[in-house]
Amino acid sequence: MSGAADREAVFPTRQSLGIMKAKLKGAETGHSLLKRKSEALTKRFREITRRIDEAKRKMGRVMQIASLSLAEVTYAVGGNIGYQIQESAKSARFRIRAKQENVSGVLLPAFESYQTEGNNDFAMTGLGKGGQQVQRCRETYARAVEALVELASLQTAFVILDEVIKVVNRRVNAIEHVIIPRTENTIKYINSELDELDREEFYRLKKVANKKQRDTAEEDAQMKAKKEQQQKELSALAEGNEENEAPKAAPEDDGPADILAAEEDEDVIF
Amino acid sequence: MEGLLFNVNNGYIEGIVRGYRNGLLTGTNYTNMTQCESIDDLKLQLGPAYGDFLASLPPNPSTSSLAAKATDKLVSEFRYVRANAVGSLATFMDYVTYGYMIDNVALLITGTLHERDTRELLERCHPLGLFETMPVLCVATNIEELYNSVLIETPLAPYFKGSLSHQDLDELNIEIVRNTLYKNYLEDFYNFVNTHPDMVGTPTAEVMSEILEFEADRRAINITLNSFGTELSKADRKKLYPSFGQLYPEGTLMLSRADDFEGVRLAVEGVADYKNFFEAAGLGGGPGGPGNMAGGSGGAEGRSLEDMFYQKEMEISKGAFTRQFTYAIVYAWVKLREQEIRNITWIAECIAQNQKERINNYISVF
Repeated sequence: MSGAADREAVFPTRQSLGIMKAKLKGAETGHSLLKRKSEALTKRFREITRRIDEAKRKMGRVMQIASLSLAEVTYAVGGNIGYQIQESAKSARFRIRAKQENVSGVLLPAFESYQTEGNNDFAMTGLGKGGQQVQRCRETYARAVEALVELASLQTAFVILDEVIKVVNRRVNAIEHVIIPRTENTIKYINSELDELDREEFYRLKKVANKKQRDTAEEDAQMKAKKEQQQKELSALAEGNEENEAPKAAPEDDGPADILAAEEDEDVIF
Repeated sequence: MEGLLFNVNNGYIEGIVRGYRNGLLTGTNYTNMTQCESIDDLKLQLGPAYGDFLASLPPNPSTSSLAAKATDKLVSEFRYVRANAVGSLATFMDYVTYGYMIDNVALLITGTLHERDTRELLERCHPLGLFETMPVLCVATNIEELYNSVLIETPLAPYFKGSLSHQDLDELNIEIVRNTLYKNYLEDFYNFVNTHPDMVGTPTAEVMSEILEFEADRRAINITLNSFGTELSKADRKKLYPSFGQLYPEGTLMLSRADDFEGVRLAVEGVADYKNFFEAAGLGGGPGGPGNMAGGSGGAEGRSLEDMFYQKEMEISKGAFTRQFTYAIVYAWVKLREQEIRNITWIAECIAQNQKERINNYISVF
């Protein structure tokens, strides 16, 4: 039976029927809630995908400008100032704050960038020549990093949302295609078993009733026969004493009849 | 008069350098280079001029390795010339290298201040500014030791002495140290070409004075422009101006008092060349961004002040070759070659980044 594999292992009782019905109801509520959550997340996911696309394009442009401005610095300063810049940078000018955003119960990290004012560690780099380019390049790269930070927070949200959407969808599908059918099957099974039991019970009762009727009828018949016998005996007693042998034989006949009745009784009990 | 005995010692060098000058890339070369689609094409275009040096580069090299190879060529040629130079020309050529040496020493000071392993820094130093005793400077672990080693081991000692103490190295911004040294160096070089018996009254003194004066003015103007908005005070700024040049003394005094671009413009009013530069830059870049290459956004047409200074420097250097019997051609040749390397790097960068619209920003004088 294929249905047997697809139902829960429960005893078909009224109690478990009640439990199963409650479970089915819970599963349906959960299903609709999860479905709505999944839809909300998917909506958000699409929006993020669109924004990632924009951010990536923006990043491409900004990075291009930034690397060109670095080329300008190389051109103007006429040498490699990388080491000097690295060494004179003491504290971060460009900083990031992390926030959390709640989308239908999913916590998405969002990065917010800000620049600390008055932090100008290498303001004098290229004092002799190319200083303007260095500053300009720094500004351009600050913009580029800003774009990167934005992209990073979007990408993180993208990955997390993707994961969560997958989980939620898996749950929705599991409830829809496994739990609900199975519970329904179980309910159906319990119902059918209970019906079966009912029918059996009914049949048995009928059988017992029949038996009892038959027994009663037999008993009645025996009682009747006995009565007739007694009446006969009484009439015989009344007739004469020489026929004393006859009533002696009659109880011998009664014995086997009684044993049969007892046997019949035992059978009824069975 | 100077022509009479010049060739006895220096004729060969002059010939060699003039030959090198003819090897410089011309406008046609640059036009061809700007048409290139890839770095490999560019490499091919550079073949005739740089063949041997670029041969070892892998296909599609990075711009920095291209620039490094081009610099290698300059360095090897310079070393050849230096090896053949005698007498006052040799000293002159040493003077040319001091500028690079200052940069290298500044690099080492930065490394020592931040307690880095300075040995790694030796590779980053400009090869022209290397000197034999340079590794000795790496032994120094604190700034006082370094200061003493610099005084003993390097030719830069006179530039440190008197204007910088070892405490200064610790406290002052490295840029101020560098510019102080550079100022002293320029003054010393200027003094050298104008007082050395071999050069006094010769075309060398004339041409080199022009070049160095221009260099001094350029530095003064640049320092002023770049110091706006930094913690460099006006008094400190004044100390960084070389005490010669066309702007000296009135111009530099006004520069030291300038608060903004307009102030600088007024200060240089007296010199026709600079006045023109500022007018052109003022129109192109606006008051906000006087000395820039427009940072990638807009203003691609307008030439920046920096560009015009470079252009002017190249023209002076080109002019130096019209004179004979002068050491100045060596200096001019080095500067021209440096500009050429910058041009190549710029063009390569533009090709690599596929930003062809600004590719013509190079400076070509031939």
